[in-house]
Amino acid sequence: MATATVVAAERTTVRADPGPGIKPKGWIGLLFIAPNLLGVIAFTLIPLISVIVLAFTDWNLVSGLGGIKFNGLDNFIAIARDPGFWSAVGLTLVYVGVSVPLTVMLGLGLGIALNRPLPGRAVLRAIFFLPYIVNIVAIGMTWLMLMNPKAGLVNQVLDVFGLQPGWFASSHWALPALIVMAVWGGVGYCSLIYLSALQDAPRQLYEAADIDGAGVWAKFRVITWPSLLPTTIFLLVTLIIGASQGFGLIALITAGGPGDSTTTISYYMYQTGFQFYRFGYASAIGLVTFVGVLVLTLVTWRAQRGRALHD
Amino acid sequence: MTKRAKWYWGIPLWILAIAFLAPFAWMLSTALKQDVDAYKIPMQWIPDPFQWDNFSTVLSGATSVLPAFGRSVFVAVLRVAGELITATMAGYAFARMSFKGRDKLFLVYLATAIIPAQLLLVPRFIYFQKLGLYDTLWALILPGMFTVLGTFLMRQFFVSQPAEFAEAARMDGANEWRVFTRIYLPLATPVISALGILAFVWSWNDYETPLVLISNPERYTLPLSLTNFVDEQGQIAPGLTMAASVISIVPVLIVFVVLQRRFIAAMTHTGIK
Amino acid sequence: MRRKRFSRREVLAGLGAGALASVVPGCSGGGARSAVLQVWGGVPAASGPANVVKAFEQRFPQYKVNYTRFVNDARGNLKLDTALQGGVDIDVYFTYSPASLALRAGSGLAVDLTDRVTQDPQLKVFLDTDQPRAYLDNGRVKALATAREPFFVLFNEKLRQQAGVDLPQQWTIDEYRATAKKLTTANTIGAYTVPDVARIALGPNYWYDGDRSNFGDPHFEQNFRIGQDMIREGSAFPWTEVLARHLDSYQQNSFLGEEFHLWSTAPFNLRYLYDPKKFPHDFKVSFAPPPTVDGQDWNGGSYNNFVMVNPKSPKVDAAWEFVKFWLTEGSTPMLAGGKLPTLGNVTDDQVLTGMLGKEPEKYFDVDSFRRVVLDAEPKLATDTRLAGFPEITLAVKQQKDLCWLGEKDPGAAIREVRRVADAAIARNERSS
Repeated sequence: MATATVVAAERTTVRADPGPGIKPKGWIGLLFIAPNLLGVIAFTLIPLISVIVLAFTDWNLVSGLGGIKFNGLDNFIAIARDPGFWSAVGLTLVYVGVSVPLTVMLGLGLGIALNRPLPGRAVLRAIFFLPYIVNIVAIGMTWLMLMNPKAGLVNQVLDVFGLQPGWFASSHWALPALIVMAVWGGVGYCSLIYLSALQDAPRQLYEAADIDGAGVWAKFRVITWPSLLPTTIFLLVTLIIGASQGFGLIALITAGGPGDSTTTISYYMYQTGFQFYRFGYASAIGLVTFVGVLVLTLVTWRAQRGRALHD
Repeated sequence: MTKRAKWYWGIPLWILAIAFLAPFAWMLSTALKQDVDAYKIPMQWIPDPFQWDNFSTVLSGATSVLPAFGRSVFVAVLRVAGELITATMAGYAFARMSFKGRDKLFLVYLATAIIPAQLLLVPRFIYFQKLGLYDTLWALILPGMFTVLGTFLMRQFFVSQPAEFAEAARMDGANEWRVFTRIYLPLATPVISALGILAFVWSWNDYETPLVLISNPERYTLPLSLTNFVDEQGQIAPGLTMAASVISIVPVLIVFVVLQRRFIAAMTHTGIK
Repeated sequence: MRRKRFSRREVLAGLGAGALASVVPGCSGGGARSAVLQVWGGVPAASGPANVVKAFEQRFPQYKVNYTRFVNDARGNLKLDTALQGGVDIDVYFTYSPASLALRAGSGLAVDLTDRVTQDPQLKVFLDTDQPRAYLDNGRVKALATAREPFFVLFNEKLRQQAGVDLPQQWTIDEYRATAKKLTTANTIGAYTVPDVARIALGPNYWYDGDRSNFGDPHFEQNFRIGQDMIREGSAFPWTEVLARHLDSYQQNSFLGEEFHLWSTAPFNLRYLYDPKKFPHDFKVSFAPPPTVDGQDWNGGSYNNFVMVNPKSPKVDAAWEFVKFWLTEGSTPMLAGGKLPTLGNVTDDQVLTGMLGKEPEKYFDVDSFRRVVLDAEPKLATDTRLAGFPEITLAVKQQKDLCWLGEKDPGAAIREVRRVADAAIARNERSS
C-alpha cells in the first residue's frame, strides 16, 4: 500500500485521547456527562443493584419484599448443575454466533450499497429498515405463515433447490428459523447506522488513494474499514446484547420449543422468573449472563485498540 | 466515486428488497382478511372477501387505537428529544474530553446495558411506585431519556473525529460549549439523525415497560392497546392486530424518511481546515 | 394533546420522597384509594364482565365498579402480581393458572373467605372437598371458582352422517381411536388430537404420588403413545402442522374449515360455532362425552376462573358483595364467553341461549348438548396439589411435542418428564 495513503489514513483514525495541546478542565467533561449519568443512575442503576442483590436470594415475587430469603451462593451452585441452563448457554452461543456476524456483514454491504447514488434510493433505504420497525406480534404471525413447512412461501422457494426444512415444527430447524428472522430484522438497523457513519468518510483519503491508483478492495481495507471500526464495535456490542436479551419473538413463536430447542438464556430466564416464579434464581442467571456478555464485550472492545491504525 | 446513478447497480438491491417486502405484503393482506382466513393453508395472498371493517374497528369505537396512538407519539417525542440531548453531550465528553477515570466510567456505563432488561422490570416497578411515577406516562418517558446505548453510539462517532479541530478552536479562545456546539455537533448530523430514528423505534415498540408500569387503560400506549385484540384464551385476532400494526408503521416511516435525508456528508470536515 | 404533567417541583419532590422511601424499605407507597370498586380479570370486558358489572351497579346503586382487564399470560400475570404487591388499588381479582393460585393464596394476597362462605347456605357447595370448587390454603378458603368447564367431544354432523358413524353416548378410548380412523377421509383428518388419557384414568392431582411425581404410571406413556400412533396412521392432526400454524390456539378455524372432525374441547370454544358472519360454516355440531379409559370416567375439565379478594382492600364488604353477585344472580352474562357458573344457578334455557347463541337449533344438535352438558354430571378433576406445577406443565408440553413430532420415543419422553417433575416437586417441598 502506498505510503501517502497510510500516512493520510493515520490522521483520522481512532484515538481515544484528545491529543496534545490545551486540555479542558476535567470537571467540564463531567458536566457534559452529568445529565445522562444522573438519569442513568436514577432510573437504571438503582433498580439494577437490586437485581444483583436478588441473585443471592430465594424469592417468588408474589410474596413481596417481606418474602425475600437470602440463600448465599445456592442459586449459583444450582446453576452450575442445571442442565437446562447449560443447554440454553449452548443454544445462545449458536444463536448469537451465527446471527450477529451475519447481520453485521449484510448490514455493512447494504449500507455501502445504499450510500451510492441509485435509482429509488430513499425507497430502498426505507424497505430495508421496515423489518426493524414493525411490532413483533405482527412479525411473529407473519413468519409463522411464511415458514410453514408444507405451504409457506419460504419452502416454496427452497423447493427449487430440493430443500424442505421443518422450521418451527422441528427441533433442528427452529433455531435456524429464528436466526433467519433475526438477520432479516437486524440488517436494516446495521445498514442505517453504517449509512450514517459513512457520511463521515475521510474524502481526502479516497482522493489520495485514487492518485496512488489503489483498487476498490484496497481502499475499503485501508480507508473505509478502519474508519468504520468504532461503528462496527458499537453494532457488535449492541447486537450481542440484543440477541442475548431478546425473548419476545421466542415467547410469541416457539415458546422455547419444540422440546427446549429454542430455549435461549433470555427465554430460560423468562421461564424461571415469570412462569416458575423463581425470581431469585432468574436474577442469578441474569448475573451469570451479565458476566458472560461483559467478557464478550470487553474482548470486542479490545479489538478496537488492537486493530485500529495508530499514530 | 461517480456522481451519476448507475441504474444496473440497483438490480440486485431491488431483488433483495422484494424478498424483504414479501412479509409486508402478507401483513397488508392479512389486515384485510376475515379472521378465519388468516391461517388458511395454502396461504391466501389476496383477501376474499376484503374485510375493510378491520380498519374501521381499529380506528373507531371502543377498540380504537387512536388515543393510544396519540400517547405513543407524546412519549416518543419526549424520549427522543431527551435522549438526543443527553446522549450527544455525554457521548461527546466520553470521546473528546479528558478527565480522570473516563474510560473506566464508560465501561461501567456499558455494563449497565448488559443486565437483561426483563430482570429490571420488577425492581423498576417497586422503585417507580415509591417515586410516585407508577401508572403515569413519565414512568415510560424518564428512563427513556437517559440511555446508555445512545451515549455509546455518539461516543463511537465522536471518537473518530480529529482532535485538531478542538485544539484550533481553543487556541482562538472558544469555550468548551462552543467547541462542542459549533464544531463537533454539525459534523454529527447524520449520526444524530440515525439515533433519532432508533430512539423513536425503541420508544414506539416498547411493550414490557408499559405492561408492568401502566395499569389504567386510559394511559395505554400503542403496543399495550393491541392486547385489546387478544382474548382470554390467548388468541390473537389476526385481522385487527395486523390492521393496527400496519397503521402503527406509518409514523415511524415518516420519521425515517424525514431524518434519512440528513444522511449527507458533512462538508464542514474539509471547510474548517 | 394534554396529559397530566408534572411540574419540575413535583418531580423533584417525588424524587426526594422516593429516595427516602427506598432507604426505608417496606413502607409502601400505595396511593389514594378511590371509592370505586376495582376489579381485575382476564376476560375482555365485552365478553361478559361488562354486563355483570352493569347488572351489579343496577342492583346495588351505592357501588361503582371499574373492571380492568389483564392478559392472562405470564407477563400479564406479572403485571397483576406486581400491582397486588405494590398496593395498587385492587379490590377483587381473578386467577386462572394453578401456579399463581397457590402462590397468591399462600402469600397473603387473598382474604380468608371461610366464614363468609360458611354463613351463606347458597355457597355451601364451596366447602365440598371431593370435587373442590374452592382453593384452600391451610384449611382456609382463599379463592372461589366462578366457572365450571367440562370437556366434551364435538362432531361435525354433516361429515358424521356421510361417514355413517353413530354419535356415541358412551365410548372407550379405543373406540375413540377407531372412530377417528373411520372418519378420516382424503380431505378431513379423523380427530384433532387425543384427550388426556392419564387424566381420565387418574383424576385430580394425577401428577403427584406422595412426595414424588406419578409419571411412573403407565397411563402417561399410553397417552403419548396413542397420540403418536394416531398421528402416524393419519387419524389425528399432524403435529408439525399444529406447531407450524399454532393450531392449539386456533383450533376452531380448522374445525370450521373441516380440516379435522372430532374435536375434544371445552365450552369456551362454542362461541365460534354460531357466528355465521365471522365464522361461516354449513354444518351442525353435536356433542359426545369424553371417552373412558380402563373403566374410569374422570372429565379432563375442571372448576376454574378463581375469584379472590385483596386483603389490602379497604372495602372488603363491598368486594364480597360483588363476588357473591358474580357467583350467584350475576353469572348469566358470562355464559356468552363459555363460562358455565360453578353454582349451576342458571336455567337450561339460559345456558342454551347463552352458550349456543340465539338460534341453537340452527347450529347445534341440541339434544346431544342437553345430554352431554346439561344433564350429565361429569366428574371434574380440579387439582389442589400444585407443587412445581408450572415446571411440570412445561416439561409435559416439551416432551409431548417432541414425541408427537416423531422425534422421540414415548418411553424416553416420559422418563424425561419424570426426571424434571421429581426435581421440581422436591425443590418446592423443600422451600415451602
